[in-house]
Amino acid sequence: MIFLPSSHKARVAWCFGDDFDVDQLIGVANIKVQDEAALTNQVMKQFEDDFLEKMGPGDILVGGRNFGYGHPHAISMRAMRHIGIKAVIAESFFSSFWIGEIGYGMPLLVCPGITAHAKRFDPVVIDFDSYTVSFPETGLTLHCEPYTKREKAILRAGGLKNFLLNERNSKIE
Amino acid sequence: MSVHGLTLTEKVLARCANLPEVRAGDEVRVRPDFVHAYELKGTTDVIERDMPIYGPGKVVAPERYAVFIDHRVPAKLPEQEALHEKTRQWCKKYGMALFDRRGIGHQVASEEGYAIPGSFAVHLDGHISQLGAFGALAIGVRGNVFEAFVSETINLRVPGTTRVILNGSVPHGVSGRDVFNHLLYLHGPQCAAFDVLEFCGPGASTISVEDRQTICGLAMFTGAVSAVFDPVDQYCIEYPKERAPAITLQRSDENAAFTRTFVIDLNEVEPMIVLPPSPANARPLNDHLGIPLTTGYLGSCASGRLTDLRVAARILAGKTLPPGFSLHVVPTSQKIMAEAASDGTLATLIEAGAFLSSPSCDFCSGNIATMASGQTAISTGTLNVPGRMGAVDADIYLASAATLAASALRGRITDPREFLVEQS
Repeated sequence: MIFLPSSHKARVAWCFGDDFDVDQLIGVANIKVQDEAALTNQVMKQFEDDFLEKMGPGDILVGGRNFGYGHPHAISMRAMRHIGIKAVIAESFFSSFWIGEIGYGMPLLVCPGITAHAKRFDPVVIDFDSYTVSFPETGLTLHCEPYTKREKAILRAGGLKNFLLNERNSKIE
Repeated sequence: MSVHGLTLTEKVLARCANLPEVRAGDEVRVRPDFVHAYELKGTTDVIERDMPIYGPGKVVAPERYAVFIDHRVPAKLPEQEALHEKTRQWCKKYGMALFDRRGIGHQVASEEGYAIPGSFAVHLDGHISQLGAFGALAIGVRGNVFEAFVSETINLRVPGTTRVILNGSVPHGVSGRDVFNHLLYLHGPQCAAFDVLEFCGPGASTISVEDRQTICGLAMFTGAVSAVFDPVDQYCIEYPKERAPAITLQRSDENAAFTRTFVIDLNEVEPMIVLPPSPANARPLNDHLGIPLTTGYLGSCASGRLTDLRVAARILAGKTLPPGFSLHVVPTSQKIMAEAASDGTLATLIEAGAFLSSPSCDFCSGNIATMASGQTAISTGTLNVPGRMGAVDADIYLASAATLAASALRGRITDPREFLVEQS
């Protein structure tokens, strides 16, 4: 099973500013919760009460510079994946967040210029092969930074653990 | 033939990759000299559960592994102690070293000989970067540390190096923490993104090893993946190497390809403070004096060492904290606590009204002594995000141990320098 599609039709669910701390997505009071399903009704609560009701298929998040800054806890993005967030596109990412989330199989894209052009509910098309983000309504296409070979392989496997398991199974075979 | 020389990081990772040379940006498979993890529910118990599924069910060279019980210490619930017991059994089963309630693991790792200059370690937590105080390269890789528990090697991208040349020496009453926050204030929270911060220059050797641990331990807040001090002096040369005698100290070549270079005049560094709600908000202390406080926390993997405890004791000696002010003093490790007890430092702090607790990560992360809504803390912890020390609407200001002690004494944010008159 390939978890990273070549192309993804998406919609911008929310736009965040610079240095965004992802623990705010679920509220710091919830970062020690282990079960992401239990957080469904907490997600984005401090930003919008009825965020979940406004979610659509293929929704993604847009971030500014240094998205994920601070001391990111994995449960926050696990909860976002659980409610259906498929990717994060940002001007840049915090290193620890990037390293951790790629390992968890979360598609992240560095896309200079995204904050100037994306607004909430914009439809966008992400091409994970050509590393572009397109806005069908305006015809604008932005270029993203490519993954390394290993990052792409991990994302295509759905995360580091699956990647390692595939590696192990292929050796056994 | 290489056009440029090599950084310390490139040299260390080339050795661990068993390659003649690696460069920033290369994806390499490396064998860490040491693999660290602290016990954490949802992390280490999951690693333990999944090790036989994803790997051979054993670790190669178990002497490379070190596990630390430093969270949920002391256990306040039976299930927390049950997790500790599970961790003890896990370490025993795999032959991994366990440091059980000996203090905050990043500090204990230095005390226990895991910070060998030129060595490479991985941990799930980024504050392990503080081993760089001794010239060791230590990177927090979050959940990816799992790979190091099921394989002898781990894959990573060789980081670039942001060099920080330190000139001069810090003025009286200014600490390493202020130096780090000065760098953060001048250059911002992305100034070393994805790089290793490397501190060098004539001013580097004027900074105590404890302050170097603080500076390196906070590196993540510049976006760095780790930090090192150029290992040129006795702290590094004399560091015990029994755990891996073959590892040799490495230094960056002068003509290495650094991503960027910052120059800091240490003489210009003043006491700094980090404003809520983000560790990015480093500001000069003098612009924020007088803010009323209710709570203080002196401890954490960043600050809580002898230097920190002693400067606080010097400021608080013979004085009394304001009524109702809660000052929690939590030495970073048992070894530090014992030393601070034997030289009278702890007695001085207790007599001033501080509340002393045993080493633990739990004060920094709000599991013990949690703040109530509307309270305001000054802290030497690592983070000041809402909810870090209890209620989400309780403000946390981060500062040096000296600033904390002076501020605790007055019950409001205070410049420590008036309490630290230079002795001739």
